[in-house]
Amino acid sequence: MVTTETPPEATASPDGPTRAVGRRFGTVALALAIAVGLLLGYAAGWLTPTLTRPGDSSPEAGFARDMTTHHAQAVQMAMLEWRLGSDREATQIAADIATGQQGEIGVMQTWLKNWGLDPTGSEPVMAWMPDGAESVKDGLMPGMATTAELRQLEASTGRAADILFLTLMIKHHLGGIHMVDAILKLSDNSDVTEAAQRMKNLQQSEVGNMRAALDRLQ
Amino acid sequence: MSVSTPAGDQRRPSVVSTGKKAAPAAKKATSSPAKKPSGTGPKKAGASSGGKGPRKPIAPIKVSQGRSWGPIALMVAVGVLAASIIGYGAYAAFQGSRSWEDRANSISGIVNYREKDPKLTEPAQHQQGKIQYTVSPPVAGPHNQDWQNCMGDVYDAQIANEHAVHSLEHGAVWITYQPNLPAAQVEELAAKVRGQEKMLMSPYEGLDKPISLQAWGYQLKVDNANDGRIDEFIKALRVNASVEGPTISCAQGITATGTEPRNLTQQGS
Repeated sequence: MVTTETPPEATASPDGPTRAVGRRFGTVALALAIAVGLLLGYAAGWLTPTLTRPGDSSPEAGFARDMTTHHAQAVQMAMLEWRLGSDREATQIAADIATGQQGEIGVMQTWLKNWGLDPTGSEPVMAWMPDGAESVKDGLMPGMATTAELRQLEASTGRAADILFLTLMIKHHLGGIHMVDAILKLSDNSDVTEAAQRMKNLQQSEVGNMRAALDRLQ
Repeated sequence: MSVSTPAGDQRRPSVVSTGKKAAPAAKKATSSPAKKPSGTGPKKAGASSGGKGPRKPIAPIKVSQGRSWGPIALMVAVGVLAASIIGYGAYAAFQGSRSWEDRANSISGIVNYREKDPKLTEPAQHQQGKIQYTVSPPVAGPHNQDWQNCMGDVYDAQIANEHAVHSLEHGAVWITYQPNLPAAQVEELAAKVRGQEKMLMSPYEGLDKPISLQAWGYQLKVDNANDGRIDEFIKALRVNASVEGPTISCAQGITATGTEPRNLTQQGS
């Protein structure tokens, strides 16, 4: 714009030297504008993922933390069954749950790390879920076994351990699926929803297998 | 410019009547055309130099007198707002990027043994039997092969240091309290622990403060369970202070109480 207008004016006007200065200034201003624009664009590119990634009280962060806790207890129970149970199918399901869910804990903790968040939230557990806080009893999320139930499992062996493990784990999975359904409704973060959907698929098929095994054992 | 025009029209008569004010304005008029061609471009300079010669003193008066504070205040407010939004964004980004170490160090009263005694807080070996610790309650060092279960376990009796230190290595926060701490405060602490993996809690005989929190290499002693620093300590250090990462287990450990550590020969008994 500036360069197309300047030549005719420069020839018509008597003060030539200032026109040249003006043109030089125009070039400098343009270069400056481009430099500032590039910097702003770079800053926006740097800031946008930082400011748009899930925050400390987001449903995604709440899900990652609380599902880690939920999974940690599933691993605890599955390891007990692996050590104490006797039924080949029940102990094999336990091994699958222990290794699979421990792996998922790693994935969820990596999300938190990448989002620059702590494994511990500032809000109460399950606060990310509508009516979630009310579903927590004695610090336990939906489906989680009580301390008494865990002690009972620790004290069981053989067929009794198999039956108790399957009973507790079916309940545990149903609670987990309830939490997964909530995050699928609340989040549009594809990393989170894809992983949550996989958890749901896996836990639903495991519930079916565990119910069949329980029927066989009882 | 267009906003300032009505105000300029209103004030013009008073300016024209006084001869004194015209002089500085004229001075400005002579200086500004020389400057302007370089600044605002050729279009304006051309307009002012062409045919408007006699009116020259009036036009600059418009500029100096047409200052209406409303729009200026508005622009300043918008500018301040924009700057504060950018500033907040920068602040949030900075806070978000503050490491857990920085946040732990900013808790008043915390003792950072990783800085104070780096050798003590190095990853340590398993050791049988009773172990003498230099810090009470211990925050790091050699420990028993069995960890104390730290799946949100609330122990109502003392536990062995040798097992608890192993739990710290796994990223647990261990809350200890004087056995005579009021029950309401014990319950307040237990609510922070129960159901939360990488947390455990037990009474501690001979504690020099009512409550003491431990993570691997860190300790904070407070007088009351309602102290806000307890939550800060847990948020900054739970799992983060783990020597072995977030996927190491707190289950399959010792769930019994008692201050005597289990030896290998006692396994399964």
